[in-house]
Order: sequence, then C-alpha cells, then structure tokens
Amino acid sequence: KMPHNFWCYSDCVTYLPTEMRDKLRKWREDNSRNSEQIVDVGEELINEHSSKLGDDIWIIYEQVMIAALDCSRDDLAHTCLQELRRQFPDSHRVKRLTGMRLEALERKTQQPKNPPAARKRKISILKALGKSAEAIRELNEYLEQFVGDQEAWHELSELYINEHDYGKAAFCLEELMMTNPHNHLYCEQYAEVKYTQGGLENLELSRKYFAQALRLNNRNMRALFGFYMSASHIAASPKVSAKVKKDNMKYAAWAATQINKAYRLAGRGTKENKCSVKAVEEMLESMQITMS
Amino acid sequence: MGEVELSCRAYVKMYLHACLFPRVSINGLLLSSSPAGGAVYVTDCVPLLHSHLSLAPVTQLALTQVDVWCSQTQQRIVGYYQANACASDSSPTPCATRIADKIAEQFENAVLLMLDGSKMSPDYRVPPIVMYERKDSRWILKDKHTIMLRQWEETRDIAGQMLESGDHALLVDFDSHLDDITRDWTNQKLNAKIAELASPANGSI
Repeated sequence: KMPHNFWCYSDCVTYLPTEMRDKLRKWREDNSRNSEQIVDVGEELINEHSSKLGDDIWIIYEQVMIAALDCSRDDLAHTCLQELRRQFPDSHRVKRLTGMRLEALERKTQQPKNPPAARKRKISILKALGKSAEAIRELNEYLEQFVGDQEAWHELSELYINEHDYGKAAFCLEELMMTNPHNHLYCEQYAEVKYTQGGLENLELSRKYFAQALRLNNRNMRALFGFYMSASHIAASPKVSAKVKKDNMKYAAWAATQINKAYRLAGRGTKENKCSVKAVEEMLESMQITMS
Repeated sequence: MGEVELSCRAYVKMYLHACLFPRVSINGLLLSSSPAGGAVYVTDCVPLLHSHLSLAPVTQLALTQVDVWCSQTQQRIVGYYQANACASDSSPTPCATRIADKIAEQFENAVLLMLDGSKMSPDYRVPPIVMYERKDSRWILKDKHTIMLRQWEETRDIAGQMLESGDHALLVDFDSHLDDITRDWTNQKLNAKIAELASPANGSI
C-alpha cells in the first residue's frame, strides 16, 4: 500500500493519543476534508485509546464517521454511528448522520451501472439513429444528475431546435447564458430562437439579445444581421407606437451602416466576394424601402 | 408535371456540400439561369446551412441575399435541397417543405430535392437524389423518368475526383460565409474548377 500521507512516512514514530486527538481537533476547526488522514488517525484513536478521550469521543465518532463515508469505509462509519445512536438515541443530529450514511450507500449502488461517458455515448448513438425523442429523454435524465455539464445543455438545445421545440431550446440556452454570461454565441443563439418563435414580444427580446451578443463580440455577423432584421421588423409592425418605430428605425439604420462597413472592408483587395457585397448593399436598400 | 434537368455544376456542389458536413443536416437553394417555361434546368446551386436549419433569421437573410444576387445575374431560385443528418432518412422535414413552399410561391414549378445519404457510397450507380414536386399544396414524389442528368457518369466521376483531392474544403456555404465574410458563397473558384474538369458535352454554362 502506497503511503498516501505524511503520517505514513514516519511509521517508526508513535504518536501519543493526545497528539492524535489534537490533530483531529485542528482538522475539525479548519474544516479540513482530509478524510483519509482522519480515518487513519481516528480509527486508531477509537480502537486503542477510547478511554483516554473523555467527552471528546462523541465528536470524534461523528468526525470519523463522515470521513469514513468519504473513503467508502462503511464498516467504520457503521461502528461510529452505532456508538452515537446508543449514546444519543433521540438526537436529531445523529438522525442526520444516519441519513448521510444511507445516501452514501445509495450512491454506491447506482454509480457503477452508468458512468457519464457511457451515457453520453448512448445519447450520441440515439441521435445518429434519428431517435431524437429518446435522445432528448436520456439527455434530460443525465442533466438531472450532472446539472453542470455545459456541453450536454448545448447538445439538448440543439436537439430541441431540430424538433422545433423552441420554448425548451430557449430554456436550455437560458441555463447556458446564466453560467456563461460572457459567451456571445449563447446570446446569439437565444436571440435566433426568440426571433423564430415570432411575435412582437419575442422580436424585441431577440433584438435585445442580438445587441448583447454584439456587445460581447462586435464581429459576430449573425448577431449584427439579426439585430438589423429584428429592429426592421419591429419598426415595420403596425402594432408599435411611433416612438418604438422611430427607435427601431434608428437601430436598423445603425446596423445597416455597420454591415456595409464590414462588407466593404471584407471586399477590399479581393475580387472574390464582390457579388456578396453588392447583394448585401441592395438587400439593405430594398429593406429600407419597405420599412419607410 | 414537367421535366427537370440537373447540371453537373449543381450536382457536384450539392454533393461536396453533403461531404463537407457529413454528420449534420445541410441545405441549399437550386438556381436556374434558363428562361422560365418548359423544362426546369437547374444550372447552379447555393449551399446555405449546416447548423440550425430550422431557425428563421439566417434562412431569411440567405433567401433575401440570394434573391438579390439572382436578380443581378439573371438567375432565379427554382428549388431547394437538403440532406438529413441521419443518412438512412431521406424524407423531407417540416423545415424543408416550409422553405420549398416559400420558393413555390414565387416559382410554380419549384422542386424539392433530398439527397439520399444511404446511396452515396463510392461506387453508386444512380444519382442519390429523390425529387418532389408540388401538387395540390402537397409535395409528392416526382416520376424518376422526368429527371435528367446529362452525362451522369462523368458528373459522378468529377464529384468523386474533387472529393478525393480535398476540393470540398473549398466550398463555402452561407453559414461559413457568416463566420468569415471574406469567403464567397457564390463559389466562383469551385465553379471554375468544375468547368475545367467537365467536357463541353457536360454543359458548362
């Protein structure tokens, strides 16, 4: 067995029970989660020197029990728990410890069956077979357990988009934006989903999030075009006030300038994309005519 | 309904588009530089997307831009193509019919073309395509005998050759253009390469 902590190197040195007890106290006060060390020291203390510990023994039992669960030493955890239950039969605190042990046992029986990598592979196979509904269901289950897996959240948003379930796609993207507030792509994708959902309220939301994406990355062309299009559509809507119309026409005009600028810059020196430059210019002109 | 002919250039670019993004759905527009009326001659195509096909903004943008480009170059949008991520499924998705419907509003004899991924093996003998036409507001399978590919074997060989030499990496779809607007979604370079490889009989426009 490899020495896993400082203690083992000094096997020849015997520590006094008082020193071991002090070490345990220090670790309690520092809230150290060095569970393996705690188990090492605590187990010896409990087995060999319990009579010398006085009232400290109970808090030591608790400390060692928790550490033992961390190290999958259920035998030791059980022993400690038994002693505590015997001494404090109605204690709420002891009941909580019992709960902790049960949870740890449950986790042990669940985990080996479906490690995350295997589940993710199953999901990509389902996707490749075109079984979107099942892939979505599995991915949702996976995310209940691994709620921080960004890649999985994005995967799920893509699946929902493919299924035209824009509401749920938006939910996934909201999750991603919350945990990755500086990622311009999530803002832009969220805006695209809102735009697709349609209606005045969603269009205004989409414009706001396209704007946010641009703030985070002013070279995001999808966001720039999206901002232009959403503002244009809002301005052209018969349901908006004169002020909203005016504001959105201003936004659209600003965006059109930026787009033209970007394309002129891109077209400099290359004959290649003259077509796209001309097409964009004309497109922007024709959209302005329909708007005014 | 009427006859549809698919040019070498249109077929090769669609094929290369599908090969460039093999694990996702892709789509694009079919264009014609021939006068309307009679047979529909698909002379070119514009590859559009390889992500988020069902989201509106980029699709709307692309349709508008291609429309403008077409009017500048005496072409018209006559159809839509799509290849599904799941190669064994070549049926049109709601997204496909929706866009094709829009095209049909402007062009009566519009065609919807699905690439059949399961038939795209290296030595496929028939064109891996399934075509639909619009009848009574529905898209129905087109009679295979009304679909023409002149010099099919040469076209197929050109597509295979370009794939092998890595030319599909030169293809620019609208998605890629938005990632880098210096890239040309009209694919003039690729068109030139295809024209070089095609014999005069294989109708370069």
